[in-house]
Amino acid sequence: MAYLELEGLSFTYPEAAQSALTDISLQIERGELVALLGATGSGKSTLLRLLKPELRQNGTIQGEVMLDGRSVDSLSSRESAGIGYVAQNPDEQLVTDKVWHELAFTLENLGAPREQIARRIAETSAFFDIDSLYSRDTATLSGGQKQLINLAAVMTADPELLLLDEPTAQLDPIAATRFIETVCRLNRELGLTVIVSEHRTEELFSLCDRVIVLEHGAVIYNGKPREIAERISSDSPYLSFLPAAARLFRLTGGRGEAPLSIREGQRYVSALKSRTTAAFDAPKPAQAEPALELKNVYFRYERNGSDILFDLSMSVNSGEVFALLGSNGAGKSTAAAVAAGLRKPLSGSVKLFGKRLKDYHDGSLYRGNLSLLPQDVESLFLCDTVREELKGCEEVLKDFPYDLSRLYDRHPYDLSGGERQLVALCKVLSTRPRVLLMDEPSKGLDGGMKRMLIELIKEFKAKGMTVVLISHDVEFAAMCADRCALFAQGGIAAVDTAERFFSDNRFYTTAASRMTRLIAHGAYTVERAARILGGDG
Amino acid sequence: MMVIQSSRLRTFLRYAIPFALIPALVAVSALVFEGQRYLIISLGIAVLALLLFTAGVERRNIGSRRMVITAIMTALAVFGRFIPLFKPITAICVLTAIYLGAEAGFLCGSLSVLISNIYFGQGPWTPFQMLGFGLIGLIAGYLSRPLMRSGLWLSLYGIVAGVGYSFIMDIWTVLWYAGRFDPALYGTSIVSALPFTLLYTISNVIFLLLLRRPIGNKLRRIKIKYGV
Amino acid sequence: MKGFERLNPLSAALYYLCVLGLSMFSMNPLMLVISLFCAVLTCIADGTVKARGHLFALILFIVAAVLNPLIVHKGATVLFYLNDRPFTMEAAVYGVTAAVMLTAALYWLRSLSRVFTADKVMYLFGRISPKLALLISMTLRYVGLFKYRFRRIRDAQRALGLYDDGNLIDAVRGNARVLSILITWTLENGIVTAESMEGRGYGSGRRTSYAPYRLHGTDAVFMLLTALLTAIAVAGTAHSSAVFYPELNFDLLNPWGIAGTAAFSLLSLLPLILNAKEAIRWRILSSKV
Repeated sequence: MAYLELEGLSFTYPEAAQSALTDISLQIERGELVALLGATGSGKSTLLRLLKPELRQNGTIQGEVMLDGRSVDSLSSRESAGIGYVAQNPDEQLVTDKVWHELAFTLENLGAPREQIARRIAETSAFFDIDSLYSRDTATLSGGQKQLINLAAVMTADPELLLLDEPTAQLDPIAATRFIETVCRLNRELGLTVIVSEHRTEELFSLCDRVIVLEHGAVIYNGKPREIAERISSDSPYLSFLPAAARLFRLTGGRGEAPLSIREGQRYVSALKSRTTAAFDAPKPAQAEPALELKNVYFRYERNGSDILFDLSMSVNSGEVFALLGSNGAGKSTAAAVAAGLRKPLSGSVKLFGKRLKDYHDGSLYRGNLSLLPQDVESLFLCDTVREELKGCEEVLKDFPYDLSRLYDRHPYDLSGGERQLVALCKVLSTRPRVLLMDEPSKGLDGGMKRMLIELIKEFKAKGMTVVLISHDVEFAAMCADRCALFAQGGIAAVDTAERFFSDNRFYTTAASRMTRLIAHGAYTVERAARILGGDG
Repeated sequence: MMVIQSSRLRTFLRYAIPFALIPALVAVSALVFEGQRYLIISLGIAVLALLLFTAGVERRNIGSRRMVITAIMTALAVFGRFIPLFKPITAICVLTAIYLGAEAGFLCGSLSVLISNIYFGQGPWTPFQMLGFGLIGLIAGYLSRPLMRSGLWLSLYGIVAGVGYSFIMDIWTVLWYAGRFDPALYGTSIVSALPFTLLYTISNVIFLLLLRRPIGNKLRRIKIKYGV
Repeated sequence: MKGFERLNPLSAALYYLCVLGLSMFSMNPLMLVISLFCAVLTCIADGTVKARGHLFALILFIVAAVLNPLIVHKGATVLFYLNDRPFTMEAAVYGVTAAVMLTAALYWLRSLSRVFTADKVMYLFGRISPKLALLISMTLRYVGLFKYRFRRIRDAQRALGLYDDGNLIDAVRGNARVLSILITWTLENGIVTAESMEGRGYGSGRRTSYAPYRLHGTDAVFMLLTALLTAIAVAGTAHSSAVFYPELNFDLLNPWGIAGTAAFSLLSLLPLILNAKEAIRWRILSSKV
């Protein structure tokens, strides 16, 4: 008998016409690392929650979940605490104010004595390399650190089964990679059984033992990663679940075993070298007026603090999509706040269409000139329904390519992350800005929503709007930006057209560019690489 | 703590020490420090009342969702003390009590005082303040029906709570300073505190009326969503 | 201030209880003056009170000292008449004594507030009630979160052209709006926190309260010493008397009174002694290198 067995598991939410999960039967062996994939609403979360009794939501369950030969329903609440669960939002899963207390919390609940708690905290912090965070306030941590603490806190109870529900969706790519690597270590070094649901599969796909894909509450793929990569064809809607190497392989009509990692992808690409067509024509730099200009800007939060912005100069041309890239906590959001006139620079100047920000009087800056889509769109919602929330946005809604009217009677917080982003975008556009700043717009979105957002940004550009993306999502920026800048040490380290930016960067670049950099210049997205390699992308 | 082996004995001591020791300590010191007898006795009573309540809370099983909501509302009251021109602590405690019950009201009131005093300074007044705000919440919880229905009753409660709180705290100030109740000193302290009392009471009413609907709607929705 | 701050919070709590109790409840002028002197010294040594704080204390002292003779007219020795009311020496002396008491308490409380960080307050509550300790910790997390979110929301609203603090009414309205968004944001997401608690075994049975403090031998010695000194000081207070009305009648310097005052002086100096000891040891260690 397998370690975890699901037999004919179905689940229906109350008053729902269709079941959220239908007749799922799975067998998972002890020590397996399983990736659970599927679009938003395919039932991934519902499935994971059914495996842990106290997280089950109201509804009708059919079928059985057996853990190590016992039905999970028969677990006592103390035993069930031994099934670890980490969800998407790093902030909200923290319970207490200090890191040490967060690590102690699980064992406190289980009534463990002091000595055992002290010992487990010490062990766990050493394993996760979070010793230096021990006495920090949880509120001061970065998203990646918070999520590591959440995982470590769950691990103090010494679970054998770990359930992770899109744990990296809110993290920047570097923190996400670190998190996934830590999960792999838990799996390899401690023999933990792990089921992780994800949108981002770049690393996970080649590291996991098995991939399960859900569609409308049913399992449609279940097998080894390489088998799945072979079974998903180039026109399948699930192509975006594959890592960049496998996607390129499919789009160029590769046969046999698909490459999964960058290294394998490089090998595959160099074998195709002879097929390479001529390189792309460099786009002609368009002559345009500068829309937003920052010149020698310095900024710090406290009088004696260190400079967050240090001699920052950048110029965004009117009508372009400009991406400001850089790692988390580098001060990109501060740069956005200064550019939006929300923080006054210590010295230097910020100009919008040649006029200094402070010369826009009586709030005229935020009417018809400049708008900011904040990182946390929750900070925009005041009302109890989407309808009230969108009062005054009628003009925007008329030209908006997506119909939001079906959401009108819902509470903003009952929407999915992507829907919330769209409503927020409408609100922000209602002031008819000529320049739109977007702070981490792709955070937490699944592949489909990201593509939708990219289409929207392209449409804004077609209408003549200037868009400034502040992002750590390299792949996202590569899909829509005209020019990119690398933000580091409080200033701009490099600025270039997207093509040159991603082709010339060695570390800070896209997966496609890493695979193709030896044979072609400018193939920085999988689609472009496929085109240059003579595929049908 | 760690030396005593029997867990029963430990539990017994945990409750017995405060409940036996504090009255004994109060009695002895009231005899020794004759001049400040009333102050000591009143302080003893306040601490005991808080301990009794704590023991009650500790015994009951409070679900995680109630804990979270109570913590959020308490944090809001604490945070309110940091916003200039904005001290909605009474209003938030009263609204919490109305929608979440007397116990949550007491906890919100007393803990928000304790926690904000970590930033604003602890003192012998802390137990009295805790008890005072706790009681404002507790009583609002018992009166939740009329208070929820009418803005008039709510305003009236805000006024009574504001004036009553100031008057009672002034008694204690006089006890500390003079060692006994002196009507002349009490009169002076009430008159000199009048502007503050007035401002405090008015702001109570304003914030109660201003926050009544928004916070009320939110708490009502959350109660349904959380199922508490 | 290192040596004293490192003590277990229970030791520190006992210490402040004793020093504050003695300073607040005994109207023994001699002990109060010593208390004030030591409290000011302690606060200056660790930089707790800055110039503005001393100024505030001075004003409090003057007001408290003058208030009593202006309002209370008891006492046998009339110094002069003010508006036909007697201004007595007894009332004046009582006023000054009460002012010393209040100011000393103020300084001790400053020192206490500095030593008792949120962690330590929580530890003490955890001894009485693990559940309240958790609630305090959760509340503290939300306070930290609110500080960050409040700024975020204000920025977002300002960029929508909806927040302005130009005048009083706008500021109150704007803040109410921001606060309202803050409540929704936090309450709506609170369910995730609640689930995280349940998922990690909250409510599965009796819980314990962990804190990174331990009772050491030093704490035992310190607590015993504190208790002993306090007992002597209390006995001293019981055997001496300070009567203000109708005539001043102090009996402070009998043998018991002297012993009590000496014990109290030592008690008041304990934090300074503990820190000085550590500073000296540090000096010796670093000179050897």
